[in-house]
Amino acid sequence: MKLAFTLNGRPCDTATPDHWTVLDLLRDGLDLMGTKYGCGEGVCGTCTVLADGRPIRACLVLAAHVRGRAVVTVEGLETDGRLDPLQTAFAERGAAQCGYCTPGIMLAARALLTENPTPTEHEVREALSGNLCRCTGYTKIIEAVLAVAGSK
Amino acid sequence: MRLHPFRLVEPESVRDAIDALQQLDGEARLVAGGTALIAMIRLGLVKPDRLISLHRVRELRQIRVDNGWLELGAMATHAEIERSRPVRTGWPLLAEAVHRVATPAIRTSGTIGGNLAYAEAASDPAPALLCLNAEVVVAGRGGIRTVPVSRFFRSFYEAALDPAEIVTAVRVPPTPAGARGGYVKYTSRSEEDKPLVGVAALVVLDASGRCQDVRLALGGAAPTPIRTEGAERTLRGEALTDSAVRAAADVAAQQADPLTDLMGSADYRREMIRVWVRRLLMSLRDAGR
Repeated sequence: MKLAFTLNGRPCDTATPDHWTVLDLLRDGLDLMGTKYGCGEGVCGTCTVLADGRPIRACLVLAAHVRGRAVVTVEGLETDGRLDPLQTAFAERGAAQCGYCTPGIMLAARALLTENPTPTEHEVREALSGNLCRCTGYTKIIEAVLAVAGSK
Repeated sequence: MRLHPFRLVEPESVRDAIDALQQLDGEARLVAGGTALIAMIRLGLVKPDRLISLHRVRELRQIRVDNGWLELGAMATHAEIERSRPVRTGWPLLAEAVHRVATPAIRTSGTIGGNLAYAEAASDPAPALLCLNAEVVVAGRGGIRTVPVSRFFRSFYEAALDPAEIVTAVRVPPTPAGARGGYVKYTSRSEEDKPLVGVAALVVLDASGRCQDVRLALGGAAPTPIRTEGAERTLRGEALTDSAVRAAADVAAQQADPLTDLMGSADYRREMIRVWVRRLLMSLRDAGR
């Protein structure tokens, strides 16, 4: 089926098999490999992208269901070659180890900070509750998000 | 890893969706947010040839207040409901329960109609809606009918829906004046898991602290979400003393018919019902002090 939506700020006119999810479309239809396949069941959070500013599970949402919506992936976090402050904070603080969960975590954090620019640590933990990281133990991730919140 | 292939039908009205369901006679599944169904397809638990998506049915998305009643379109998402000002001010118990559904990303997609139609025993919104005496609006070929939430769950993962019927809305009467409500969700693994047990309660206390109205409902405690009328009866007209609360919690635990699964055994669930009913009722009592 034909499908038009906004992808990382630009119009995207494409086509998708009916049974493809947003994740299938991003990776295999549009060659955007930043969004990762993890569990495929909506549990682990690695495939998190934004739809109209809110986090979604790209592995559970049908591609057809983002028709007309604004989707942002990790490739769209930077603006004019400048990294999002979250990306800088993650890099500076070593908030990634293997990096597989990082795109999903940064997008979940971006959604939080856009809606609530000054979250408490509890609110950060709650916002990231659906994103599993098996390397870091979360400490540096949460510090990085709070650092960006504090810098604004 | 791809999903088992299916064709997607995208009707733009409830009538067209019902026609599609009827024509495809048992071959199609309805999809709302997809948070349950797509995962089930991924796991190979169901292999539908057709999905009928309700995403283009605009009439199902509204959240509005009509004559004091809250009306949630079936496609209203948990994220929309938990942020809705009318819900937060008029039906805070519902806002609290919906906020506890899974994770932010699941709440972005998951819908109230999908949650109820899925008839999950461990639903978070269901116990709150049971306490609020909510109704489910169902549309089919013969027109529209309304089912109290208390009669909407038939059995394990089975709602009182005919094959060509669609949940179109949830209607919630006004929260009683002066009511105190709360929802506690106890998980045995991680915070965002389904509840091992979920307890919702709503009480109206008179000037001397006696229960004028008391409603108690459980998720994860039986094959379906349930109201615990027995426990409510022991408290009606009584003050929420420690001993009265303990007695009610015992009755609730006895009335429960829990399952054993990966999250916990039936015995453990029963014990946790006793604990969390007691703690919730005591916290509602003490909230006014």
